[in-house]
Amino acid sequence: MAYWSPYDNNGGTCVAIAGSEYCVIAADTRLSTGYSILTREHTKMCQLSDKCVLASSGFQADIRALQKNLDARHQIYQHQHNKKMSCPAMAQLLSNTLYYKRFFPYYAFNVLGGLDNEGKGCVFTYDAVGSYERVGYSSQGTGQQLLMPVLDNQLQSASPLLLPSKESATPLSESEAVDLIMDIFASATERDIYTGDAVEIVVVNADGIRREVADLRKD
Amino acid sequence: MEIDSHIGCAMSGLTADARTLVEHARVETQNHRFSYNEPMKVESMTQALCDLALRFGEGDDESMSRPFGVSLLIAGHDENGPCLYHTDPSGTFWQCNGKAIGSGSEGADTSLQEHYSKDMTLEEAETLALSTLKQVMEEKVTPNNVDIAKVAPTYHLYSPSEVEAVIARL
Repeated sequence: MAYWSPYDNNGGTCVAIAGSEYCVIAADTRLSTGYSILTREHTKMCQLSDKCVLASSGFQADIRALQKNLDARHQIYQHQHNKKMSCPAMAQLLSNTLYYKRFFPYYAFNVLGGLDNEGKGCVFTYDAVGSYERVGYSSQGTGQQLLMPVLDNQLQSASPLLLPSKESATPLSESEAVDLIMDIFASATERDIYTGDAVEIVVVNADGIRREVADLRKD
Repeated sequence: MEIDSHIGCAMSGLTADARTLVEHARVETQNHRFSYNEPMKVESMTQALCDLALRFGEGDDESMSRPFGVSLLIAGHDENGPCLYHTDPSGTFWQCNGKAIGSGSEGADTSLQEHYSKDMTLEEAETLALSTLKQVMEEKVTPNNVDIAKVAPTYHLYSPSEVEAVIARL
């Protein structure tokens, strides 16, 4: 009856919002297994380059392996091409890396955020096997079903399938987006048992990368 | 020959060998687009080609018993603007502003050095290239015995009528 599984879900939620000149990526810091908490201070973010941040929720071991893989590939790229990877390039690389393990996937639900080649905010959202899409905002993880409808309501970004193509980045200002993130995580924490403790918010803009941590309910 | 939409090349020497190199270059650029969703830098592609020039003897399957006997002129346009590279069988490559390769290359090189300037227009460059070629060719320059291609900023091989138009300006 009880059968050993190679996967475990360590819970948590990630969100990213793209603005016209910034990108906000946020994730809670709780790590759990089953109904227990493993730690309240665990980061789900990985800074892949100076304009690109990856937030992943799911199985922590697979996430770490994925992050290390991408980091190594990025270093090789820098040596071969004498430049850092752009966010869209990293997005494609992540997709290929995930699909490479199509028949034993990384149990990682990813959101990649950063600035594109023109300095505009970009968010890429993924499934576990690498299907990806550039969007104006996204959420992944245990709180996804609670947060997506709220984000849709507040941000209502244009579908990328529209022609002529419309701007998918939100017109909100950076501080408004950060406030929205705080409110949203507070809501997710109320109802999702795997989300809480603290939210780590990373803002990528032309000046660089800024990180702040805000407390959430710990129950 | 076209390597990618933003890179083209010209060959001199054992042109049969060149086809293997061009094929390898095409695969490399497409791999890069597949992996990174962006065009490959011209210098990186040239480096990848030159790596192959050194590896001719490695591996059991497709190893050659001799180096590739061909020099290439790689012309491309990437985020650093238009650029030209020259490769030779040793696997070395140089970046140039103007270069001629092949049997008449010495005379052509000197002529290019005299007339080249950094702010030439495309038309001036076409005329210079063709007139330099004319000097070292024995037969008359016609649309049937010369090929012109440009990368500005995408690769385009001239049709016979376009070549005719350049010849008319000589």
